[in-house]
Amino acid sequence: MLKITHLVKNFGSRAVLQGLNLDLQPGEVYGLLGPNGAGKTTLINILCGLLQADRGTLTLNGNALGSANRGLIGVAPQENLLYRSLTCAENLDFFAQIYGLNRTERRNQVAQCLAQVNLTDRAHSPVESLSGGMQRRLNMAVALVHQPKLVILDEPTTGLDIEARYELWELIRQLQQSGVTILLTTHLLDEVERLCGRIGILKAGQIIVEGSLGDLCQRINAVEVATIKSSAEDQLLARAQVLGFTSRRYGGELALWLPQVWTLTEILNCFPGIPIESITRQPVRLEHVYLEITTASEGL
Amino acid sequence: MKYWRETLAVAGRILRELGRRQRSLIFWGIFPITLLWLNGYILAERAQIAPTEAFTRAAPVTLVGAALFFSCLGGSVATVVAEREQATLKRLFISPLSGVSYFLGVFLAHSAIGLGQALLVYGLALYLGAEFSGSWLLSLVIVLLSVAAYVGVGFILGTQFARRVEDVNALVAAFGVPLLILGGAFLPAALFPPNLLDLAQWNPVFHMTEALLQVNADDAGLDQVGDHVTFLSWFALAMTGGGWLAYLRMIQQERRL
Repeated sequence: MLKITHLVKNFGSRAVLQGLNLDLQPGEVYGLLGPNGAGKTTLINILCGLLQADRGTLTLNGNALGSANRGLIGVAPQENLLYRSLTCAENLDFFAQIYGLNRTERRNQVAQCLAQVNLTDRAHSPVESLSGGMQRRLNMAVALVHQPKLVILDEPTTGLDIEARYELWELIRQLQQSGVTILLTTHLLDEVERLCGRIGILKAGQIIVEGSLGDLCQRINAVEVATIKSSAEDQLLARAQVLGFTSRRYGGELALWLPQVWTLTEILNCFPGIPIESITRQPVRLEHVYLEITTASEGL
Repeated sequence: MKYWRETLAVAGRILRELGRRQRSLIFWGIFPITLLWLNGYILAERAQIAPTEAFTRAAPVTLVGAALFFSCLGGSVATVVAEREQATLKRLFISPLSGVSYFLGVFLAHSAIGLGQALLVYGLALYLGAEFSGSWLLSLVIVLLSVAAYVGVGFILGTQFARRVEDVNALVAAFGVPLLILGGAFLPAALFPPNLLDLAQWNPVFHMTEALLQVNADDAGLDQVGDHVTFLSWFALAMTGGGWLAYLRMIQQERRL
């Protein structure tokens, strides 16, 4: 669908994208992760035509990406870029007109997009009267109004409450089922876990790790992560080292990577005589992999 | 076809947004009506002419010297600044909308507003007994050249000097009000002292008001107002070109953000 090869973009002496490669398959939801400044926005801006790449090739369905086929892409930016005094239907109709839809197509697409994002009953409400979640949905509807084959969603659920998030996730799944390819960037890792078939982690202008959630989780030599609170952390760490556990700190809390699933008793038995206040176990998740890859974290 | 479709879309959207702000619409109506009424009565009193003749002479200057100035220049500045503030420009850049269409769309929308104001001002003046003469085609050309010049200046100011809506008033007041006074919008140019009259020759608003006034009130033809129309044409061309370049520069700046 979308193939990016050796993409390079510099801003002055600062290299933002350094030979980035990406290959999106038709109908997949691809999650692009990376810390701030990794190059996600620059990549999206190049795909949208807002920026020119210094080097590299971008092809969409085998053709070089340019003004002729950029209409196959729909973009929902992270801000709600909408005309606030116009109604939902008027916003959609305007952008549909810009994308060259005729009157009948516009009428159908506006109605369909409003239905897709559950805003049919607010079709004639001005944008400024909508809640944040509704505006977010409309922002996504604008990206869909010209029936793109590839949709770029830039942090689509940031700032939304959980119900609005569920609605957008459902919409993304529906889009995928209808054959639309989706490139999703977000800082919400559980969103990526739920939605994305493949995940790429961008660091310093390159995708350094790519694969399914399962593939990525296998990069950590553990099946579970135990977060342990103890008043004698030094003793606990020394013992963990003897046992060969990898230790990390997540948000200040001490965590140990467990190579297999153990019961609480088995874990406690590993630390005899050391006072332990609480143990929380969870399977290895994307956040553990992500932190391992994007931060230069050392063992404690 | 693409350009025409996009131009209509942009113009339609601007007019629709204006239509939503009903209070603003009412104020845009009140402004030229009040100005015409005041100009007409002051002129009748000071020049000792009949009110019907005073309104005949007040309508053209009220239209191009005041109404179009604020709606087309102030309006296009506000349009560009609002697009930047609500970041919808970025969405337009992402879309296939061409810069030419955007520019023409803003121009078309403000031309429509200008023609609407012309109907309002001239309609009221006719109601008050004014009698207009001269070529309507030439009048229309002068009005459209004025709109083009104002929109061009509006683009330059809006793209280069105003980043927020609050900046618009200060800009329009700083650049506009002295030009309007020197253009004869509030006080007939015939009353200007000679040195100010010499200075007014370099003021495009003066040429707009004089050209339309002479055509509509004095039945002048192109041969009589040729100098004004020539100056106005060059000015409109320069401002349209300048506005276009300023718009391109803004695109480059906004894309970097």
